[in-house]
Amino acid sequence: MDGMDTLNDELKRILAAKEARRLRLAAESYPAKIRKVVRLQSMVAPILRARGRRVRVWSIE
Amino acid sequence: MRKTLEALNALEVEGVIRRYAIGGAAAAVFYMEPFLTYDLDVFVSLPADQGGIVSLAPIYQAARKLGFGEEGEHIIVEGVPVQFLPAYNALLKEALDQAREISYEVTVTRVFRPEHLMAIMLQTGRDKDRQRLEAFRRQATWDAAYFDGILIRHGLLERWMEWIR
Repeated sequence: MDGMDTLNDELKRILAAKEARRLRLAAESYPAKIRKVVRLQSMVAPILRARGRRVRVWSIE
Repeated sequence: MRKTLEALNALEVEGVIRRYAIGGAAAAVFYMEPFLTYDLDVFVSLPADQGGIVSLAPIYQAARKLGFGEEGEHIIVEGVPVQFLPAYNALLKEALDQAREISYEVTVTRVFRPEHLMAIMLQTGRDKDRQRLEAFRRQATWDAAYFDGILIRHGLLERWMEWIR
């Protein structure tokens, strides 16, 4: 039972840290967030293209 | 992106579009953590022609004159695929009218208010809207009283109660 409580505490800590990170990201400036969106687009585009989907990575600079 | 927004502002100044605002995923990113999207949804109100018909054709004509290419339903405005969408229902018209003016670096633009984005997610009602709304309402700062007004005006209160149950 102690083990389960420890696991729950650890999980709670991890989930709280993830949520805190999401809130930090949400608070960033719009241009900074758009740059992150474009990085995501670059990372995912090859996978989508391999599946036959046509996608365009934004050119923002 | 700044050049894209400047081009949109120029279309408005030139009267090709009456008013525009960013909606959809790109607007949601303004208020919440960044997530993957490939579309820049731009909602517009358009001047009606002499017969009272509203058409996106003038946008496409202006885009061609400016040398912007087209890909499917998108116009590639300075490297960004923009989907122009008329504000086609009462909720979208209100969202466009009440959109917030913001600055992107030194360029002024407009995005839908968070409360309207939430209502649009509710109205659209797909699984991905429901998931996004769940995250959005935790991460974004929004005005509950203002949102309640939108829900009542647009008949969305019942669905909201169902979704947050």
